[in-house]
Amino acid sequence: MARRSPLPSIPCFKMAAPPVQVQEVREVTRIERIGAHSHIRGLGLDDALEARNVSQGMVGQTSARRAAGIVLEMIKEGKIAGRAVLLAGQPGTGKTAIAMGMAQALGQGTPFTAIAGSEIFSLEMSKTEALTQAFRKSIGVRIKEETEIIEGEVVEIQIDKPAVGTGAKVGKLTLKTTEMETVYDLGQKMIESLTKEKVHAGDIITIDKATGKITKLGRSFTRARDYDAMGSTTKFVQCPEGELQKRKEVVHTVSLHEIDVINSRTQGFLALFSGDTGEIKSEVREQINSKVAEWREEGKAEIVPGVLFIDEVHMLDIECFSFLNRALETDMAPVLIMATNRGITRIRGTNYQSPHGVPIDLLDRLLIVSTSPYEEREIKQILKIRAEEEDVEISDDAVTVLTRIGMETSLRYAIQLITTAHLVCRRRKGTEVSVEDIKRVYSLFLDESRSTQFLKEYQQEFMFHEVGKCESAICCYSTANLGYLEKVNRDKTPVADILSLDSIDHRNKVHDDDDDDDLQGYFGLTIYSEAIRRRPAQPYDPGVARSKTEQGSHPLVQTLDRDETIKSHQN
Amino acid sequence: MEQPPEKVIETITAIEEMAEDVLADRRQMIELDRKRQKMREAASFNFSFSRSLRKDKTKQKKWVCFGNMFVKLSKQQTVCLVDKEFDSLDEEICNIRTGIRAKVNKLRDSESKEEIRGFHLQALTKDELESLEAVL
Repeated sequence: MARRSPLPSIPCFKMAAPPVQVQEVREVTRIERIGAHSHIRGLGLDDALEARNVSQGMVGQTSARRAAGIVLEMIKEGKIAGRAVLLAGQPGTGKTAIAMGMAQALGQGTPFTAIAGSEIFSLEMSKTEALTQAFRKSIGVRIKEETEIIEGEVVEIQIDKPAVGTGAKVGKLTLKTTEMETVYDLGQKMIESLTKEKVHAGDIITIDKATGKITKLGRSFTRARDYDAMGSTTKFVQCPEGELQKRKEVVHTVSLHEIDVINSRTQGFLALFSGDTGEIKSEVREQINSKVAEWREEGKAEIVPGVLFIDEVHMLDIECFSFLNRALETDMAPVLIMATNRGITRIRGTNYQSPHGVPIDLLDRLLIVSTSPYEEREIKQILKIRAEEEDVEISDDAVTVLTRIGMETSLRYAIQLITTAHLVCRRRKGTEVSVEDIKRVYSLFLDESRSTQFLKEYQQEFMFHEVGKCESAICCYSTANLGYLEKVNRDKTPVADILSLDSIDHRNKVHDDDDDDDLQGYFGLTIYSEAIRRRPAQPYDPGVARSKTEQGSHPLVQTLDRDETIKSHQN
Repeated sequence: MEQPPEKVIETITAIEEMAEDVLADRRQMIELDRKRQKMREAASFNFSFSRSLRKDKTKQKKWVCFGNMFVKLSKQQTVCLVDKEFDSLDEEICNIRTGIRAKVNKLRDSESKEEIRGFHLQALTKDELESLEAVL
């Protein structure tokens, strides 16, 4: 996940460049980093693990966020591993967003691997290998490295070469810190390294006591004015403080997968970069497990169980699920978070149906967190946050219009309209996005339900059209939306029906023409179908204002007042 | 949670004390290191100035200063003394280092800060590090 990091300082720009240049660089960097979920900074929970309504980029969905917060605490403890969580809900209800929030909240210390369900199907390695690798990428091993070093600023180097013959060189090196100063005698090897590193008076160096390696850290600030011109790579560092000889401890976190790769073949480390790891033998993995266990006993290493997030988990087939069952029970297992938006579907690889497309025995091991569709004010809030994220000025009326669009079509469609409307607004040299711009892009870009309506009317014109088959195909494509919309308007449908988006009953129910009356409360769709039915001969143009003589009118041409349009429809 | 002001002052005083302790230890380490370097200089073998003891060829007796007392000792005894002093300083610095670690942990605990990750781990040996070299 891309984390926002401050723009690194570019020293050459400090002096001369006009401010515009720096601004440009910054904008480019920002655009690169905006993704669908880049506005999320965390889960937005307070200390008591209660979800604040709008916080850290997350809006609403309080119960799911609270559940996620509890899972997060479990992960942070690090003692409980091998747990699995399933985030289930309609499309566009924030499942991936919650997972992103958890990733951000965990921070850099905990390994977080995110994969999509279809990623494991690759020709290069088997499914179980891909899953095992994903599992091992999410387990970290924390180790510590300790070195005794001598760090100081060079005051003076004095090397004496013997005047006659080839005797040994002898030398003195005076090092100082802010507190003390001392003189070191140099032997032959040390003199060689110093000359190789081109160490001069005023440099700040580190000498590793164990290996004798010399590292130049930079030049001291006090010597900055010695020369008028410096090389481009000269860095200026502050004079070190404290004692000359200190012990440096560095803590590293490596994942088990990385250790596997290094040890599985001779050019192991190159494979880490190229990604071509191939299959890693299980003997190698056993060895590494035992080695790490040994280190654990000795107190030299710590296991950091991380998080593996599998999105679209209904794409995994029955073999993978059986593998997951077993893998969750090993002692080196991360916390598994899965997300899916399917209802009761067929498990891939079998002909059996199961909730969420996941076998029941795996479901038994899971904690299931469900997400619910957003309310109107939540959608408004989300749109505002996205507008801010994408740097778009938008008027309040436009936000209201967008919210309505979001309610009727889908949240994602409304989010996509933000940037497009912004571009339209820029074209007409406006300052902020207004209702006009929204109308324009709404007419230019169809959402899924309008598109299917159009197809239903004009399917003869399209290539490879097949009557009957096409109809049912369109139908099941649009049930997802229609099912969602029904819930929005008439809160009477049971949840099972909502989630069973692919179930046959639901499909037939909605497609039946007699049921149009049921959809009357939902003005957008009904009016469309009326309009289209009446004038099939003319080319379909969703943006054109229809004359008042017609009964159905474009929902956006009039002001969006639901009661008015229903009245006009009924007249 | 509302705490009575006296309790708050108590907690803050305790934290400050611990912090002072840690800082004092740190200064101690710096002082000891300074002494250690001087010892090393004095006893060193290759020092080009003829100040160093080991290189000194003469059999003269050396002046050694104990606090405010000057004593003349033979060269061997002085070398021996300086070496012992060096070793004991080394040992003391190591002890303070382990002590400071525990104190810092306690301080962070009382400040309700998270523990530094990997603080308590033992260091890996050289060969073990080599096996992980490529990854680090």
